[in-house]
Amino acid sequence: MKKKKVIILTVILLAIVGSGLVYNYTFNSKHRDIANEEATIALSAEELFSHFQKDELLATTNYLDKVIEIKGEVTSMEEGEVILNGQIQVNFNGQVMANVANGTSLTLKGRCVGYDELLEMVKIDQATITNKEH
Amino acid sequence: MKKIKSISTLFLFAVAFMSIGAVTAQNKYIDKKGKLTFEASEALFEPVKATNESVTVILNTETNEIASLALMKSFRFKNSLMEEHFNENYIESETYPKATFKGKLLNFNSSDLSENETAVAVDGKIELRGKEKQINTSLMISRVDGLIIIKGSFTVSPADFDIEIPSIVKDKIAKEIMVSLDFNLSEK
Repeated sequence: MKKKKVIILTVILLAIVGSGLVYNYTFNSKHRDIANEEATIALSAEELFSHFQKDELLATTNYLDKVIEIKGEVTSMEEGEVILNGQIQVNFNGQVMANVANGTSLTLKGRCVGYDELLEMVKIDQATITNKEH
Repeated sequence: MKKIKSISTLFLFAVAFMSIGAVTAQNKYIDKKGKLTFEASEALFEPVKATNESVTVILNTETNEIASLALMKSFRFKNSLMEEHFNENYIESETYPKATFKGKLLNFNSSDLSENETAVAVDGKIELRGKEKQINTSLMISRVDGLIIIKGSFTVSPADFDIEIPSIVKDKIAKEIMVSLDFNLSEK
């Protein structure tokens, strides 16, 4: 009799924990943390841009949603974003960053979100600077 | 004779196009960080809502043509699993990475703009998932400190773009999706 009670209690407990885990997975799963992900590809701003210009479909397959390390030269800077080589628009998503002079060579890591044909730029978001040199 | 006529027409067209090109270069307003939000929430269920804060908008105040582009991967949801489903199952952003809008502001004259919002009708097409949808709506436009500010909202439905909602979540996703926009364009 006692054994039965223990089994029932265990089953109930497991059900509660299980549903808690499912709930947590469904509603509280964490967003990707791009800053702490390893870059899968490293290339220059010109290379990335030319890949999208040459064959957007192929470049989308290769780079979309991937964490990429890009090296380029800052050609303009605005609040929360920099433009590399006039070809890559990089968004730092709220991250505070120091002012960088135009012409500064930057290496950064971020997620590729695609090609914007209105601006003629490849877009990167959630970026972090990995190296800065003058 | 006919040939000469057609050549001269062609020439006229070329001149006309070139002069349009020359004029438009100075009448472009651009926003690279436009805000676009869509909401398809149903009462009692978890909100289905996402915002894209890096939408491109270009307005030509000479021709009143307006174009906009939103990358699908830039839509951020509060719930990461929902974001994943949006990209993988509904929008299929690997195949269709962007949505575009191309249209025209009707009876609009940028020099009439003031700090008070004026309602301006817009007529255009949204392209998403390889499907086009005609949009006619009204935007509230004002000019503040040299910026042209455009706000508005309209509704679309998943069926407009052949997006199938599985029956298991049918009650949790609204049939009418509310899209709202907030653009601040500066002169280029």
